[in-house]
Amino acid sequence: MIKDIWSVFIDRKEFFADLLFEHLEISLISILIAILFGGLVGIFISEFQKTAKPTLGVINFLYTIPSISMLGFLIPFSGVGNATAIIALTVYALLPMVRNTNTGIANVDPAILEAAKGMGSTKIQILFKIKLPLAMPVIMSGIRNMVTMTIALAGIASFIGAGGLGVAIYRGITTNNAAMTMVGSLLIALLALVMDFVLGFIEKRMNKRSVKAKKANRIMAAISVVLCLGIAGGIFINTQQKDTLHIATKPMTEQYVLGEMLDILIEQDTDLNVELTQGVGGGTSNIQPAMESGEFDLYPEYTGTGWNMVLKHDGLYTEDLFRELESGYRDSYNMQWIGMYGFNNTYGLAVRREIAEQYNLKTYSDLKSAASSLTFGAEYDFFERDDGYDALCDTYGFKFGKTIDMDIGLKYQAINQGKIDVMVIFTTDGQLSASDVVVLEDDKQFYPSYICGNVIRAEVLEKYPELKTVFEKLDGLITNSDMAEINYSVETENKEPRDVAEDFLRSHSLLQ
Amino acid sequence: MKTAIEFKDIKKSYDDKVVMEKFNLSVSKGEFVTIIGSSGCGKTTALKMVNGLIQPTSGDIFVNGENFRNKNQTQLRRNIGYAIQGSVLFPHMTVEQNISYVPNLLNKRDKEKTKNAVLKWMKIVGLSEDLKHRYPSELSGGQQQRVGIARALAASPDILLMDEPFGAVDEITRGQLQIELKRIHKQTGITILFVTHDISEALKLGTKVLVMDKGKIEQYATPSELLQNPATEFVKELVKKERRTCYLPEEQLFTCKFSGTVGERNSHDTK
Repeated sequence: MIKDIWSVFIDRKEFFADLLFEHLEISLISILIAILFGGLVGIFISEFQKTAKPTLGVINFLYTIPSISMLGFLIPFSGVGNATAIIALTVYALLPMVRNTNTGIANVDPAILEAAKGMGSTKIQILFKIKLPLAMPVIMSGIRNMVTMTIALAGIASFIGAGGLGVAIYRGITTNNAAMTMVGSLLIALLALVMDFVLGFIEKRMNKRSVKAKKANRIMAAISVVLCLGIAGGIFINTQQKDTLHIATKPMTEQYVLGEMLDILIEQDTDLNVELTQGVGGGTSNIQPAMESGEFDLYPEYTGTGWNMVLKHDGLYTEDLFRELESGYRDSYNMQWIGMYGFNNTYGLAVRREIAEQYNLKTYSDLKSAASSLTFGAEYDFFERDDGYDALCDTYGFKFGKTIDMDIGLKYQAINQGKIDVMVIFTTDGQLSASDVVVLEDDKQFYPSYICGNVIRAEVLEKYPELKTVFEKLDGLITNSDMAEINYSVETENKEPRDVAEDFLRSHSLLQ
Repeated sequence: MKTAIEFKDIKKSYDDKVVMEKFNLSVSKGEFVTIIGSSGCGKTTALKMVNGLIQPTSGDIFVNGENFRNKNQTQLRRNIGYAIQGSVLFPHMTVEQNISYVPNLLNKRDKEKTKNAVLKWMKIVGLSEDLKHRYPSELSGGQQQRVGIARALAASPDILLMDEPFGAVDEITRGQLQIELKRIHKQTGITILFVTHDISEALKLGTKVLVMDKGKIEQYATPSELLQNPATEFVKELVKKERRTCYLPEEQLFTCKFSGTVGERNSHDTK
């Protein structure tokens, strides 16, 4: 395991370095805003104690909102990406900052304050010459807590398409790459420790009071300010670019690969620059609003999902509704479906090959007569869902001999070992390509169709018509079993999505 | 003689509780007024009214002939030195920074002048120069009091308010500090209001003693007047012991039969 982690880290040094830098950037911006804003609020409520209770109440309340829901709330206002992440992180960082500033100032000995007032200091002078310096140790410890917390919390920012090391963690989880998740987590921990060490050092220096140490402090502070400005300037200069296409993908292995394919082909065939935001958490529900606001230009979507979640139709989607789907997208959102990959990622029933041959099973209906002597396996929730086990049995008149609940990760093992005979699958499951099973045809169309294609904003396509040739290449390019194999390469063989995408395009002679 | 501080018909009440009423007093320039009374008698309240830390409910206070109400209080306070019990130094500032606190509020530019003022005052209150980079926590109690006095005096105010400044130091140090303060008063001619609860300190330091009880003035007089003609029962009770204390030269001590030396002498005789 440790060896895996190390080799992943070494292989993808630059990838991780970029993420680390981005992580630091997001965290530091949030921390800076929180220090300034939280400090001001803390000072304000300590000066006007009547406002302290309600203010702290509100901030406490914000603090208790789970981070995932906080990000969800913010998306309609600030979209997906770094801005939302920074707002959310700042909100969480406020509490320790405000509370410690208030506590620190409120705990300054009133006799000292009276002495300062009696000697003729103005309120501002008392604040800056007496209160803040004396409250500094408490404020500093608040900052230290807050910094560590913010760096850790920033890991979740990738959920809404922001950068940072969370990207590695999230990608590791969705593509079954534990080593990548570990590297991401370890780097976050390391970053938090380093930052805490730096702050500890600053705190220690601040407590040194000799004239010499103070002079050294001033020099060090000046140097670090210059360094920070330099880095910030560097970022600023670097951000000027050519026309950029923003592509989003959902947190699914196959979407990671599709994203890479789009990136490779578009950059190869056009002059456009692609900015790929992989694995946006929440999938359609977060990507669609961002498409509407123009933050993303295109993303791979499934027809059935578009029908139910975007156009909000209740009924079951079948492919003869595709025209209606297209016109719905065009009329409501001015978006277009283009570059239909060909595979259908839907639910399916898989049967062990020997069983399929024994009973000559090709369609779901064929299964009816054999069901009573077979064992059926599925995840726990399949037996509970409205469109789950009972509905399936009603539609086809199945009566299975036995049913077994099992974890999603274990069902392929179970069917390969003969413990179950029939199971529910996704038609592009990576494991499918390595298992000796037959996927039956849903002849009564119990399950909706989920053909994969790209949704693109019409104005983008008008502006860059050269994209059409790229999408033509994608039409019907990938079959269900291709996709299952691709998923297998990433999830089980631990290949990089980009490498898999390249290999696939090369084998179809699409790479130049 | 010119009046430095004048209280006119001062009334102070907290909610319904009246702590001070019909309080009239005028303090001449250059006077060293010690204020004494039991705790809660309003002596600190009276002191804090002079620099506006406490506002009277009604009545007026004139400082150098000007009504405090109509003035920029912050500006006025800078010309009134203020030293309180335990001296309350700013713990995050060095001796030098503490002493130059008020001069820095007054003029930021003239650093040289402030520096010299600090050295001058350190010398006057008897602090050696090498202490100036120390922090309050690194000083003895007596040194802290001296810094407190130097800080109160550093901007050369013409009024100095002191609220039990020697309350927290040992007997020997207190004696030294009292002598220093008396000398500084003589040297500068500054008007001092000095709150204490120690009658011997009040009599020893003050050119005038103000005795207060329950927010009223019992007597305002010179120490000798106080001892000779206590105006009320309260004052009489207060100075009872001091009246019987005699300060005789060493060789005449035995002539007083209340002196502690008498018993010693008698025991010598019986040998």
